[in-house]
Amino acid sequence: MSSNNRAAPAGRGTGTHFPARSWRWSVSDIVVASVLAVASGVIFWGWNLSYHLVGNLFVLYPPVETLVHGMWLFPAVLGALVIRKPGAAIYCEMVAAAVSALLGSQWGLTVLSSGFMQGLGAELIFLAVAYRRFSLEFAMLAGAASGLTGGITYHWIVPMYAYAPTETIIHIACFAFSGAIIAGVLPWLATRGLAAASVLGPLASRRAHREPRLGLGRSHG
Amino acid sequence: MAVIARGWSWTHAERERPAVAGLDLKIAAGEKVLLAGPSGAGKSTLLHALAAVLHDDEAEVHGQLLLDGVAPDQARGRAGLMQQDPESQVVLSRIGDDVAFAAENLAVPREQIWQRVRAALTEVGLEGFGLDHPSAKLSGGQKQRLALAGILAMRPGLLLLDEPTANLDPEGVWQVRDAVLAAAEATGATIILVEHRLEVWAEQMDTLLVLETGGGIRRRSPAAEIFTDPALREELGAMGLWVPGRDPLQELPAWPGEAVLPGKAVLPDEPARDVKSAWGGMPGPAPGEPLLLAEGLAVGRHSPKAGWRSAQPGAPTLTDLDLVIRRGQTLGITGANGAGKSTLLLTLAGLLPAHAGSLAATAELKGGAAGAGLAADPHEWRSADLVARIGVVFQEPEHQFVRSTVREELALGAQQAKVPGTADPLFTEEQVQDRVTGLLQRLGLSELAEANPFTLSGGEKRRLSVGTVLSAGPQVLMLDEPTFGQDARTFAELISLLREHLDSGGTVLAVTHDADFLRGLQAEELQIGATGRAAPGTGEQPGASKAGKQPEAPGGELFAAVRSLSWLGRRNALAKLIAVFLITAALVMTIDVVSSGVVILAALALLPLAGIRPAGFLRRIWPFAAGAVLAAWGTAIAAEESGRVLLDLGFTTISEGSITLGLALGARAFAIVLPSVIVFSTTDPTDLADSLAQQLRLPARFVLGALAAMRLLGLLAEHWRTIGQARRARGVGTHGGVVARMRGTASQAFGLLVQAIRMATRLAVTMESRGFGAGPRSWARPARFSAADLPVILGGALIGALAVTAAVLSGTWNFVWT
Repeated sequence: MSSNNRAAPAGRGTGTHFPARSWRWSVSDIVVASVLAVASGVIFWGWNLSYHLVGNLFVLYPPVETLVHGMWLFPAVLGALVIRKPGAAIYCEMVAAAVSALLGSQWGLTVLSSGFMQGLGAELIFLAVAYRRFSLEFAMLAGAASGLTGGITYHWIVPMYAYAPTETIIHIACFAFSGAIIAGVLPWLATRGLAAASVLGPLASRRAHREPRLGLGRSHG
Repeated sequence: MAVIARGWSWTHAERERPAVAGLDLKIAAGEKVLLAGPSGAGKSTLLHALAAVLHDDEAEVHGQLLLDGVAPDQARGRAGLMQQDPESQVVLSRIGDDVAFAAENLAVPREQIWQRVRAALTEVGLEGFGLDHPSAKLSGGQKQRLALAGILAMRPGLLLLDEPTANLDPEGVWQVRDAVLAAAEATGATIILVEHRLEVWAEQMDTLLVLETGGGIRRRSPAAEIFTDPALREELGAMGLWVPGRDPLQELPAWPGEAVLPGKAVLPDEPARDVKSAWGGMPGPAPGEPLLLAEGLAVGRHSPKAGWRSAQPGAPTLTDLDLVIRRGQTLGITGANGAGKSTLLLTLAGLLPAHAGSLAATAELKGGAAGAGLAADPHEWRSADLVARIGVVFQEPEHQFVRSTVREELALGAQQAKVPGTADPLFTEEQVQDRVTGLLQRLGLSELAEANPFTLSGGEKRRLSVGTVLSAGPQVLMLDEPTFGQDARTFAELISLLREHLDSGGTVLAVTHDADFLRGLQAEELQIGATGRAAPGTGEQPGASKAGKQPEAPGGELFAAVRSLSWLGRRNALAKLIAVFLITAALVMTIDVVSSGVVILAALALLPLAGIRPAGFLRRIWPFAAGAVLAAWGTAIAAEESGRVLLDLGFTTISEGSITLGLALGARAFAIVLPSVIVFSTTDPTDLADSLAQQLRLPARFVLGALAAMRLLGLLAEHWRTIGQARRARGVGTHGGVVARMRGTASQAFGLLVQAIRMATRLAVTMESRGFGAGPRSWARPARFSAADLPVILGGALIGALAVTAAVLSGTWNFVWT
C-alpha cells in the first residue's frame, strides 16, 4: 500500500503531535459529510424526475420496485467511504432523509426512522471491520446490509407495507440486491473518482483511487 | 498583531517538495502586506497556516509560526481569513446570525454578541439591512463584506485575505476593498493579502513580499515599487499578476484590427460603452451570413412550462429581443448582474427553451444538405447535433468535465457528434485522434494528456474547457464570463485561443463584465437591461439592494430566510416536532382508514393556524396523493389474499381484503405526510437547529454543520441544473432509454458531488477560521419553551389520541406490531 507514513516531527511550530489516525470528526469531516448529505438530497430530487419513467416498470408487480430503491441508500455508504469515521453512514443517511423530508417526502417524519435504520445497516458492516476496510466487497456488503435493515424497517419496525410472506421476502431481497449495486458499487466508484479528482484533500479517503479494488489491502494507515 | 516565521516549512502528505520551506519572516503590527509569488509558491498554505485551518495528519512541519508570540492554534479568533468564493464565505441564512456565528464560537456572552454584530455590520456598510435579511439575497460584493463583518465580530488583530476580490464584478471589487481598508484603519489590524489584480490594492499596501517557489522569500520591498521598478513589474507580470498599466495583450502577436483602438490597460471599472446600435442589424466590419435569428425572443431561467414542484411557470427575465448573429462576428453581452445575460446565452445556445418569440438557426449554421432536416430551434436538436454547431464554455470549467483524462475529454465532443438525423458518427476514429492531437498542442496540454482534468491548475482548466468545446468543430462559440477570476496569463492565453477561432472564420459570443476581454477581441457590445452601474468606490446604498433582480434559487421558497409569521410559525420548533412525532406515532401504530381520516381532517382544519392557503397547500401535496394511490395499488396486488378474489393474474391475485388493506395503507401514507408538510413549511431551519442543539442537546458541531450545509441546498440545485446543461452542451445529455438516462443521471450526480465537496471544503475552512469546532460556544438566540408552546404539544397529543380512539371505537383498529 501507498501509505508510507512520514515519521517526521509534526506540529505547527508548537511541537504538537498529530495522532496518526483519529476517530474524532474534524470540522472538514462534519461539513463535508453534511454537504454530501444535502447534495444527496438534491440528487434524490433529480432522480425523482427520472423515477417517473423507471417506476412505471414495476406497476405490474410492485414487490420488485425495490430493485431501484438502492438509490435512496447511497448516502450511507458514500458517507462512510468518504469520511471513514464512526457514525458517518448513519449521519449522512439521516441528514439526507431530513433534507428529503424538508423538500417534501412521501414518508413524512418516518423518513427519520428509516434513514436511521438504513444507515445503521451500512454502519454495522464498517464497524465490524473497525473502519479500516473500504474496498469494493465491503462497500457492496454495506449497501446490501443497508437494504436489509431498510426492508426490515419497511415491513416490521415502522410498517409501510402489508405484503404476503413471499412478496415480503422478494421485496426485501430486491432491496438488498439493489443496495449492493446502486448503494455499494456506485458510491465506491464515486469515491475513487473523487479521490482521483483530488477533491478529498483534507479527508482520510484522499488516496482511495490508489487502493486495491478488493479486500486484503488495508484502506489506510 | 505581529507575525513571525522562523525557519517554517510545511510539506503536504505524499508530496516530495515542501509547499513552503525555510520561511523567515517578520511582519510588524498594523503592516499591510501584499503577498505574491509564482503559483505553487505556497501563498495559500501560509495564509491557512496563520489562520490555523491547515490540518494534515501526515504533513511534515518544521520551524515556528507565531502570532504575537503564540502559535496560530493558540490564538483562536485573533486571525480572520477571507477566501475567494463569496458563496462559501457565508455560513448562515440571515446576516445577523452569520455575523454572530463567530462570536458564538468564541463563547462571547449573549448580551455582547448583538452589540458586536451591529458594530461589525456598520463597519462594513451593511447596517442598512435588517439583521434578518437573507444572506442569499446579497450580491457577491455584499457577501464578502458580510464575511468581513463576521471576521470583525471576533475582534481580530490579523486579516488574512486570499484573493478576496477575484470573484467579484467591478463594483463589488471596490466595495470590498474600501471596507477592508476602513476596517484595518479602525482596528489597527495587520493585513496579509494575496491578490492578482494589483491595480485595485497596490497603492494601499505598505509592503510587497514575493515568495520563492521551493521556499524562502525572493524579495521584500515597499509596495510603491510596483509602480516604479520596471524589473519588478516584469517579474510580477511573468507570474500572471495584473500589474497596473501593463497590458497582458501586448505579449501576444499583433492581431489585425487591433491598432484601431488605443492599446491601453483598461481598469475594471471603466463604464461600458453605449452600443445600442448593436440591436437589430449589426454594424461593423465584415458582416458574414446570418447564423442565428431571434425575433421577439423572451428568455427565462425557469422553464416556461409549469413543473411538478411549482405550478407557476417562471416569468421571463428578458423579453422582445431581436437579434441576428452573423458568421465571423464577435459579440460581448454586457449588463448588470441578474439582467439575464447568461440566460440569454444559454437560450441562444439551445440549452434553455425560449419563453416566447422565435429562435431559428439558418441553413448556414445547420450545415448544408446534411443539416437540412434539423429543426429551426436549436433547443430541439439532439445534443449530438448541437455539439458540432454551437459550443458553450461555462463560467466554471469543472461543470463541463465528464471524463477522467484530458485526452478523453478532448475526444468526447468529436466522438459524440453525429450526422443529423442518423446515428452515424460525424468523424472517424482516426479523425477524432487527429483532432485530439492537434488540440493538445494548441492548448499546450500535450504533457498533461493523461492527467485527470479536475487536477489541472485554474488556467489549464480554462484552456481545456475551451478545447473540449472546439473538439467537434462548432461554428459558434458561446462563453459565459470566461475571464472571471483568471490571472493575466490565463487571460492572454484565452484571448489568443479565441482569436484563432475567429481567424478561422468562427463566431464568438460572450457574456462578460470584462472590458479588457471586449477590447482584446475587438468585440461589439450588446448591453442588456438598464445600465444602473454604481460608480466605483462609492459603494452601493444598502437600502437599494439589487436582491430583487437576482434569480431565485430553486428550493428558495422552502428555505426562505423569512420566518413564517403565522401562529404556528411563531411557536418553538421542538414543540412542533414533538407534536408531529405524536401524530405520526399514532398513525404508524395502525393501518386503518379511520385514524388516517381523523388526521387528514385535523390537518386541513389547522391550515389557518399555519397561515397556509388551501389552494397552495393542495398544489404542494398532490404528488403525495399520487404516491398514496401507488401504495394502495402495490398492496392490493401483493398483500395476502383474503375475502373474494376479484382478479387472478396467475402469479398473484387481487382480493377484496387486499384492496381494503391497500386503501387503508394509501390513506395512511397520505395522512403521515400532511402534518410534517405543515410543520416544516412553517419552521425555520435555523430555529430548528437552535432547538435541537440547545434543548434536545444534540452535538452542536453536527447540528450546525448540517445547518450550514442546508443553506447550500439552493446553490447545489443550481449546480445540478448547470451541470445538466453543460452535459448537453458536451453531447452527453440525459436522453434516450432507461439505461442512457440512468447513466446520464449518474454522471451528472458525480459532477455535483465534486462541486459539493469543493464547496464543503471551503466552507469548513470558513467555519473553522471563525472559531468553529473547538471548545464551548455561546448562543446568540436562546431556544426555550414558552407557555404558548404548550397548546402545540397538547394539540399533537390530542390529534393522536383522537385518531386512536376513533379507530378503536369504529372497530377498524388494526395494530401493526402483532
